[in-house]
Amino acid sequence: MELLILLLLPFLTATLLMVVRPTAAAKHIALGSTLLSLGLVLWLWYNWTGTAVVAVNADWFPQWGMRLVLGYDGVGLLMLLLTTAVFPFIIAAGYKQNLQHPSMVNALLLYTQTFLLGVFMAQNAFLFYICYELSLVPLFFLLLYWGGERRRAITVRFFIYTLLGGLALLFAIAYCVVQEPTHNADFSALANLALSPDTQVWLFWALFLAFAIKLPMFPFHSWQPDTYTMAPLQGTMVLGGVMLKMGLYGTLKFVFPIVPEGVVYWRDTVIVLSLVGALYAGVIAFRQRDLKRLVAYSSLGHVGVLTAGLFAWNSYGVSGSLYQAFAHAVLVIGLFYIVGAVKDRTGTSELGAMGGLKLKTPRLAALFLLVVLNAVALPLTQSFVGEWLMFNGLWQRDGWFALLAVITIVLGAIYMLYAYQRVMLGPDKWQLEMADADRSDHLYLVPLIAVSLVLGIHPAPILDLVNAPVQQMIDLFTVTH
Amino acid sequence: MEPVVSAIRAVPLEHYVYLSFVLFSIGLAGALFRRNTIIILMCLELMFNSVNLLLAAFSAHHSDPSGQVFVFFIMLVAAAEVTVGLAILVMMKRNVDSVDVNQLNRLKW
Amino acid sequence: MVSFDMLGKWCWLVPAFPLAGALINAALRRKLGANVAGGLATLMTALSFVVSALLFFGHDPAVTPVKVVKLFDWIRVAGMDIGFAFQLDALSLTMMMIVTGIGTLIHLYSVGYMHDDKRVASFFAMLNLFTFAMLLLVMGSNYVITFIGWEGVGLCSYLLIGFWYTNPEYNYAARKAFVMNRIGDVGVVLALCLLFSLFGTLDYTSIMDQASGFGAGNPLIVGATLLLFVGAMGKSAQIPLFTWLPDAMAGPTPVSALIHAATMVTAGIFLVVRSSVLFELAPFTQDVVLYVGVGTALLAASIGLFQNDIKKVLAYSTVSQLGYMFAALGLGAYSAGMFHVTTHAFFKALLFLGAGSVIHALGGEQDIRKMGGLKGVTKITHWTFLAGTLAISGIFPFSGFFSKDSILANAFAHSPVVYALLLLGALMTAFYMFRLLFLTFWGSYRGTAHPHESPLVITLPLMVLAVLSVLGGLLNLPHLFGGHEAMKHYLATAAEGIHNESLHLSASTEWILMGLSTGLVVLTIVYAYGLFVKKTTLDGAPAQMPALKRLIAEKWRIDELYAFLFEKPYGWLSTQFARVGEDRIFVPLMNGVGNLTLRAGKVARRLQTGNASFYLFAMVAGIIVFLLITLYGG
Repeated sequence: MELLILLLLPFLTATLLMVVRPTAAAKHIALGSTLLSLGLVLWLWYNWTGTAVVAVNADWFPQWGMRLVLGYDGVGLLMLLLTTAVFPFIIAAGYKQNLQHPSMVNALLLYTQTFLLGVFMAQNAFLFYICYELSLVPLFFLLLYWGGERRRAITVRFFIYTLLGGLALLFAIAYCVVQEPTHNADFSALANLALSPDTQVWLFWALFLAFAIKLPMFPFHSWQPDTYTMAPLQGTMVLGGVMLKMGLYGTLKFVFPIVPEGVVYWRDTVIVLSLVGALYAGVIAFRQRDLKRLVAYSSLGHVGVLTAGLFAWNSYGVSGSLYQAFAHAVLVIGLFYIVGAVKDRTGTSELGAMGGLKLKTPRLAALFLLVVLNAVALPLTQSFVGEWLMFNGLWQRDGWFALLAVITIVLGAIYMLYAYQRVMLGPDKWQLEMADADRSDHLYLVPLIAVSLVLGIHPAPILDLVNAPVQQMIDLFTVTH
Repeated sequence: MEPVVSAIRAVPLEHYVYLSFVLFSIGLAGALFRRNTIIILMCLELMFNSVNLLLAAFSAHHSDPSGQVFVFFIMLVAAAEVTVGLAILVMMKRNVDSVDVNQLNRLKW
Repeated sequence: MVSFDMLGKWCWLVPAFPLAGALINAALRRKLGANVAGGLATLMTALSFVVSALLFFGHDPAVTPVKVVKLFDWIRVAGMDIGFAFQLDALSLTMMMIVTGIGTLIHLYSVGYMHDDKRVASFFAMLNLFTFAMLLLVMGSNYVITFIGWEGVGLCSYLLIGFWYTNPEYNYAARKAFVMNRIGDVGVVLALCLLFSLFGTLDYTSIMDQASGFGAGNPLIVGATLLLFVGAMGKSAQIPLFTWLPDAMAGPTPVSALIHAATMVTAGIFLVVRSSVLFELAPFTQDVVLYVGVGTALLAASIGLFQNDIKKVLAYSTVSQLGYMFAALGLGAYSAGMFHVTTHAFFKALLFLGAGSVIHALGGEQDIRKMGGLKGVTKITHWTFLAGTLAISGIFPFSGFFSKDSILANAFAHSPVVYALLLLGALMTAFYMFRLLFLTFWGSYRGTAHPHESPLVITLPLMVLAVLSVLGGLLNLPHLFGGHEAMKHYLATAAEGIHNESLHLSASTEWILMGLSTGLVVLTIVYAYGLFVKKTTLDGAPAQMPALKRLIAEKWRIDELYAFLFEKPYGWLSTQFARVGEDRIFVPLMNGVGNLTLRAGKVARRLQTGNASFYLFAMVAGIIVFLLITLYGG
């Protein structure tokens, strides 16, 4: 019941906004809705007993394996928590943006939230797939109508590319359902599908391609920097904060249980590609001329390590990867908000034109610095816990993987501090008057920083959530292999 | 047995088939090769009727009335279709001052 | 007196005080006045010192050699259980005393020194935060807690080097420091991963217990110690990661004294001593540590010979002295290394603060060529500076004499070549330190400012540190002078490596070594006196020097070498990745997918002629084809 409410709440609010089209109240309504969702998920978390929950279980088109099954385990709950925790911030970012047609923007964002929640609740492959693809539709309009330069070309390209991956996923799901004796597409049924090793080796890519593109994993990443840069601030936050976690979650939900042999065959390849991508992105970020693009590349770098940690496929790697997923969401929301705040004040995100902003906006500089500390994974921030676990996980797989992964923290320090310096430090380059971070900026950034610190010092709540299911998955994996 | 049915049965089934085939072929050839839209419409009707004829014949020979019911449906639909077709024809005449079907080639790409 | 066990539970107060000070100062940084902010920060550090002192003096290693105080669980995943816990033993208590004791003095000094700065509260917040991080580093009961402090001090170092942030060069120096430390951290993180996979824990006590199960020279232990040493190289500015420390002098002088001389840079030595059990098992690593240490000691000392910035001379001196400490560790003489850490903390903090006092007196001038004759004006600064100089040069009975002599004796026992090299370094040290002293305080004044003595708040810490520099040798007075190496025996209860130390030199050999080094140092001082007091020889621009001297004065051009080898290629790589990798390879690759779709569409749309007859024809043709297939296709 709670899950249905959780799903319907943003959907109905969005529809209401579409129909009534209030101008001034739109963002308040949307914010209220997202906060309610967050409250609901917090309540679910509070009542969490440690056993997986299946709340809705109904037939839809059972002959094709399509069934309405909603539920969550620890990992799913973490993802629900992440989504609902991040969305109020995404909506709130709109308070300063003043986009045209606020009711449409907020409605689109809420539709996106609906389908994202659907993805993380779905316990049926088809339902998952439908939500997975539907979540793109509202985003498509958001990017197309509110995006920046070259928005049409970039949006269309992004869509064709991700849909290509989706197509492969659909094919793979259909293939699996045909193989399943009762044509049941529930995850529980698909997990017992013992496909022949040869099949698994090629089916791996059919399943993983969609997620690899969505994450994105090197070398499927090239849609990401352009799209992040062009998208309106809130769109970028959705993409970087939540959307890419669908890739992570999908990998965990689909790829590992269905094609374990394929994973065994390909995992070192995936780890190497991810880490190469992380290093590649880290190097590129150093010389980026645009702050937003730099943050996009930094996200790419973080995600590379995240994917590698996942494919290390041991408790440390997977727990670290999931933990880092949450940390990364908190991080990119903060970073992109600061990009927006800087752009609001200076009218540009061009790094070459910046410098000395700290003289005018010392508070904003301090907040930026605190977010940067999380970005460079300083101990006692959330990112450190995640990265530390992933490094250990990768080490247990192979020491060289760990070396590659650890080098990214050097690259991160290089580009992040360089970016911070170029924006904030140095002599003043601005002749104009500008306001320092005000109450609303603090209201926005301080909670994010607080979350990153609190969960950096006391990571147990999140770790405990994922420990049990992760251990279970790993055990299954080692029993069968 | 009704006289109509026995009258239909008086002719062997093959003959209906031949006749229908000829009628259908004439209609098809007309629809394919003529450019005058009125004639194309008439050819379409011809094809319909060839099929109707066949349906009625089979229906009578097999003592299954559903074939004849189909015929009525088809006639009805064909009548509606002709109205639409003629309306398009009138609009076409008004707009491009021609009934040549090749004039209507802008519906592409 | 409260028992150690009772008080030990409150040891978290030691880092908590400076943390509280940092948070308060940071939160109220616009509202607090300079004296309030400074006073608060000093008070917090002093309180921390008081608690440390209570713990230190209450600690009886014979009863409880090691006490672990666990605060809470930090990271717990599967088999990994990392507690947030502190470890009180001889080593950590000694370091706590140094950090909080010298920290308090330097905080006090900063109240005077930073008085007129606009962001004085921010400064004290960062300084307190540094103290907090440094305390975590030395108090941690496992490697990961130490690593928190390790990174935390790096952060504070970054913030404080770039404290005057409108100067791009300072910002560059700050980033350089952070990045070089991060390169070292790669080693630390990997070492931790390796140690965890070996031992299944990262607690110091458990690792010490289990380590004996590994044979000497075990390749995994060698690897782990080498990786740890990479981290130590970064933090303690050893070859090849030393170039950040001289640049770090961009920060305010108290920062140079506290972070870049007395405490943070000795973290690398601390880490090695903490892991002495492992280093003992890895002879190869010990050799590496020894050679890197000796090399750094000589290289940095040689650069120090011709520097003209008062802080740069001291910076290279610090690098060189750190080299000595590592040489001691490489020789297995951990107690000598720690002893030198302690005395060095006294006299180098003193020297930096004295330099700060001079800079303060001259209104910001740092070039020793524009100083001279200050001993008449800044009497206290001069006398204290002299005490520090004598201590670092190793003149009996100043503290540096004992600690350096201990290292030299160990070196001699190991190999005369190493001894000769370290002695050469000691002579260079005496030369550049007395050059600095003579050019700054003696002779006649060559500048244009109006020198004045600094206020008491600045000179008081100088006096305290001067006393410590003079008497510091008593802490570990060797048997030859009637002592019984108190510090060594104390630290031996905490560090396995010290426990195993053995030095077999006859008393006569020791006397000869001491006489030799003291005699040569005195000769060097006399030489320097002739060069800089009698004649006042000043160096011109490097371009006019002879080739070798110019090379040394230009710091062996190592910065230029690194720029050529790493910085420029990295920038080039970054640009090329973006231009070639992204724009030419991956974006076109992705566009290829889109273009393929478009191309296919372009071909397929030809079918859509718009001609109704054609459609009809195609339809009929299709039907016929299907009919034929059904009839004859099978």
